Amino acid sequence: MSSTLDRQIRPIYDALETGSNKSAVLACNKVLKKQPNNVLVKALKALALVKLQKVEESLVLCDEVLASKPVDDGVLTAMMHVLRGLGRHNDMIAMFENAYKQQPTSEELGQQTFLANVRVGNWKSAQQIATKMNKQLREDRFLYWSVFSTLLQANDPSTPPELQPVLLKLAQRLIETTSVPSYSSPDRLYVHILVLRELKLYDEALALLTTEIGQAICETSLVCEELRRDLIHLKGLIKEEGDRAEQRIVEKKDRNWLEFISLLDAALWDVTSVPEPSDEAKAAAKERIKHTQEVLAKVAEEDGLKDRSAALASLDLEKRARAQDVSTDPSLARTLAENYFSKFSSKACCYEDLQPYVLFEGDELAKWTSFLESQRSFETLADLQRGINVLKLLRWNLTTDELTPELELARAKDYVKEYLAALPFGKSLPDTELQPADDLALLAGETYVNLWKLTNDQSHLFSAASILEYASARSKQSYRIRLLLIRIYHLLGAPSLALEHYRLMNVKQVQTDTLSHLVLTRAATFSLSALGDITYLSECMDSSQIYMSNSQETSEFISRAFQMEKYSQIEDIIVFEDRLDNSLQRDLMKIEHVRMRLAHEQINADLVDMELIELKFIFDRLHHDNRDFSIIPNYQPHSIPSFNEQTLPFGKIPGIGWLTVFLKIYIKAFQLASDLVESVEDKLLIGDRPKPSNDPENKIPLNERLAKKKEEEMEELTPDELAFYEFASALSEWLAPYHDYARPPPSALLAEAAKQNELKPGHPLRNITPPPDATNGSSKKDEEPPTVKEAPEVVSKFFEEMRTRFKAVAEGSQEPTELLHLATLTQEAFLVFTIETVRFKPASVIKQNKLNGLTPAFKEVRTKAVEVLTEISNELIKIAEQSATREKRDAFIAASKDVQAESGFDHDFVLGVARKTTDAKKHVLEGVGKGIQKVLKNHA
Amino acid sequence: MSILRPFRATDLFRFNNINLDIWTETYGITFYFSYLSRWPDLCCVQEAQDGKLMGYILGKAEGLGTEWHGHVTAVTVAPEYRRLGIGKKLIDLLEFVSDEKYKGYFVDLYVRCTNEVAIKMYENFGYSVFRRVREYYGSLGMGRDSKDEEDAFDMRKPLSRDPGRRSVRSNGREIIVGVHDVS
Ligand SMILES: CC(C)(COP(=O)(O)OP(=O)(O)OC[C@H]1O[C@@H](n2cnc3c(N)ncnc32)[C@H](O)[C@@H]1OP(=O)(O)O)[C@@H](O)C(=O)NCCC(=O)NCCS
Repeated sequence: MSSTLDRQIRPIYDALETGSNKSAVLACNKVLKKQPNNVLVKALKALALVKLQKVEESLVLCDEVLASKPVDDGVLTAMMHVLRGLGRHNDMIAMFENAYKQQPTSEELGQQTFLANVRVGNWKSAQQIATKMNKQLREDRFLYWSVFSTLLQANDPSTPPELQPVLLKLAQRLIETTSVPSYSSPDRLYVHILVLRELKLYDEALALLTTEIGQAICETSLVCEELRRDLIHLKGLIKEEGDRAEQRIVEKKDRNWLEFISLLDAALWDVTSVPEPSDEAKAAAKERIKHTQEVLAKVAEEDGLKDRSAALASLDLEKRARAQDVSTDPSLARTLAENYFSKFSSKACCYEDLQPYVLFEGDELAKWTSFLESQRSFETLADLQRGINVLKLLRWNLTTDELTPELELARAKDYVKEYLAALPFGKSLPDTELQPADDLALLAGETYVNLWKLTNDQSHLFSAASILEYASARSKQSYRIRLLLIRIYHLLGAPSLALEHYRLMNVKQVQTDTLSHLVLTRAATFSLSALGDITYLSECMDSSQIYMSNSQETSEFISRAFQMEKYSQIEDIIVFEDRLDNSLQRDLMKIEHVRMRLAHEQINADLVDMELIELKFIFDRLHHDNRDFSIIPNYQPHSIPSFNEQTLPFGKIPGIGWLTVFLKIYIKAFQLASDLVESVEDKLLIGDRPKPSNDPENKIPLNERLAKKKEEEMEELTPDELAFYEFASALSEWLAPYHDYARPPPSALLAEAAKQNELKPGHPLRNITPPPDATNGSSKKDEEPPTVKEAPEVVSKFFEEMRTRFKAVAEGSQEPTELLHLATLTQEAFLVFTIETVRFKPASVIKQNKLNGLTPAFKEVRTKAVEVLTEISNELIKIAEQSATREKRDAFIAASKDVQAESGFDHDFVLGVARKTTDAKKHVLEGVGKGIQKVLKNHA
Repeated sequence: MSILRPFRATDLFRFNNINLDIWTETYGITFYFSYLSRWPDLCCVQEAQDGKLMGYILGKAEGLGTEWHGHVTAVTVAPEYRRLGIGKKLIDLLEFVSDEKYKGYFVDLYVRCTNEVAIKMYENFGYSVFRRVREYYGSLGMGRDSKDEEDAFDMRKPLSRDPGRRSVRSNGREIIVGVHDVS
């Protein structure tokens, strides 16, 4: 590069580096003025434009650069980022392959081409390139690249099964012909063992791991050690491994729980390895169990409080022995549990540790219970944790007989009392610390929730909210208290307070995928987007950031792991990328976003087409559920549903079935409304089409898939969602023939798009040339129009039925979430109806297509819908008025009386919570009510 | 009772009970993957029998010449599993691998000057303050003791390759450096 050019180009790089993309564009323009064909500058400008989200403009440059078949390093690097930003991975591969072809001896280009294939999971091509590079450059690294890509190709679901052994054999041959042994590094050894394991050559694999070097590697490499354990299991060397584990535990003081598992597996192997163990086998097992218990007892004694592994292993061994009917002492389990409790009750995890081992019955349960009761004390800070464990464990074993409202109320009061009494123990702690008494408040909160479940009386939820708010104010770092409050506020119809607590948990990055369900599940129910309040819309957008980062950044680390030869991480990163990319929560959120958007925006072709394309992609995905529900604390007895289950909004959690139903509803609606047909859609696409999953479902034609109704999917819907689904499917079935008839032909559409294209500065629709037979959308129809039928009953009766449902709740329980659910679904039905009738709004369309009968049919449905929605809206606003009155607050306070009783728990505090809650409820009821009016006005 | 196993990419879906704690920062995915794709043997988790994650450690190996060492980037244990020796096991492993495999001279780490629990723990494990680094951390956002909150101690512990303990010093607390003086 000449120095003048360098002087001109440096500022562009600097600007890009500092994120001043606008100045980068300006700097590029300056150079391009003098040198309009400078490919590097074009590429850099394309990059700056991509970063500025000016996709269309960047596409033009991008195509020009690609057409020049670049080989220059700087251009390739810039283009790599451009293409990644645009999601055009296939173009990236083509670009590098082309460059590599032109300079076949370039190691750098070879690597880049390999890695470009790796990023999109093209294992076959990757393997071929690596093999070629290895032949050419004789570097072991490339040999292992080739081996590992072969292995990944073999494991890829799209590889035909008969090809798998061939590929594995090839991989093995490759490794075993190299002069450098695989144990030159842990990760190479890992690859070698993996190949042998897949080929079921377990002895060979174990032989490698038991060499001196192999053993040394297992010492410092947990991944190799993990493989070793796996092989032992596959070989059935359970007893040998048990002996080894015993030695490691006793002599080396290894306290990895995996060693204890090996020890226990071996102890029971005589009876677990055969379907029907003989008496001798049972006797042998009893002998070995006895020995193992002795070993464990000794280790437990030695370890004292330092490590609880041996003590827990004892419990686990007895539990397993019982399950296999080789236990010799009916009260051993309880004795061990008591010992364990005596030793570790000062630890918070004592409860979780013991849960699986204390499911006693009858006499044993009575003894266990009275043991626990004898341990109850809250006198000192040291006692507190033990006391908490006592209460939790007692609660865990309560039977349904013991869970009457009276007894539960007494317990709730007891927990509150102990909580308030124990608070002073944590008084001097800094506010970065958790309060030691927190769990007592959690117990109280959960018990009040159970009372609500038992009695259906919402006032118990007030009590729960009061005590938990109190606790939250005292223990600001406790996210667990907030989790309970989030659920409770949703039940109370105060979603904004739930959102507040959620935000205070500071959920970010990948956590938004696993935790946003807490506030975004069926968020359209609570959103005031119709009034222009975009709180929930932006929460969805923020929570979706992580998926962008994933698709832009994660694959880079797959290639980095190749470069660093850390093969053991590659498959996991691939799995991670896939699970996040195809996350169920991502698309549940997407659906909520669409629902909220529809209430917020005008329904036009842009919205319809864009959503249609996106939802169709989603429809082809194989989803993974990454949502974390286990984070929600549960202190309910094992005889009843967990706190999570008790407080699920609407009693049902949307899963893949729910998602599929809503996808079907909206794809169908948008498909009818849209002029796009598949052939056109392809041309409008910017990035690569995502690889559809291998699900056989995906091979069925789209329309058939959309029409299919599946029992298991419908089970995930609430009854009212189901009614909405029936409405939407009947509606689209009714209207499909008219849309198909009236839709302009593809040729007209492409002509229009091409025309638009010329008007714009860039020309993003690369593949569009006006078709020869283009007419202006008014092509003459050969067929007669379909006869207009009346609206099917499901459609014409829907709104009336929703009115009845709504009235019943409004005059009955007035449960706020129920009211909102009914109101928003009715509104949603109206919006879907609007989407599917928008095409016929202009009188000219009706006339041209001779579909005159449609107008009165639409009018009838519409009028009914407007009438019902107006009534619902008025009613909501009325209920809202009444919900934040003084009386309601007093009722709240009166209901929380238990929480206040006999304590210093002050009235003003409860009043504050009452005010917040009733105000929040009023806000959302009123907002949704007014939102309906706005929607009706928008689509009048 | 805990299972010691490699940190896996998919653990990011499951570390909420650990990361919702305020002393533990949640970074972008590239942060975790840059460790996993280079030093997988210095990254591991402790898992409970029921599959819940209890704690994890992320580390790296870096430095030139006698500065070649293992570094603890993050070590954390979920609140409900503290004081059970989990933190110790994680650090033991990192020290062991830094010593045996990487042959480092020492292990070091940064800790907020206000994080008394952690500092005491490291001292128990044989670490000592090597220097104090000004404004190493962003604020925790609580507004108190903000100086101490943002400053870090760089703490070190020599490994077997440094029998003369050349990598540590006794007056480390008084040696103050700016954030640009450390890597
Ligand atoms: C620091 C942390 C990792 C310790 O984990 P841990 O599993 O509880 O630690 P261990 O049980 O292995 O404790 C080892 C020793 O450290 C000391 N220690 C740990 N926590 C302590 C506390 N709260 N108070 C006093 N000493 C403590 C003790 O000497 C303890 O040994 P002992 O229990 O036999 O007396 C944990 O508290 C944590 O995750 N904190 C939040 C994240 C963090 O601060 N990380 C460090 C940033 S550099």
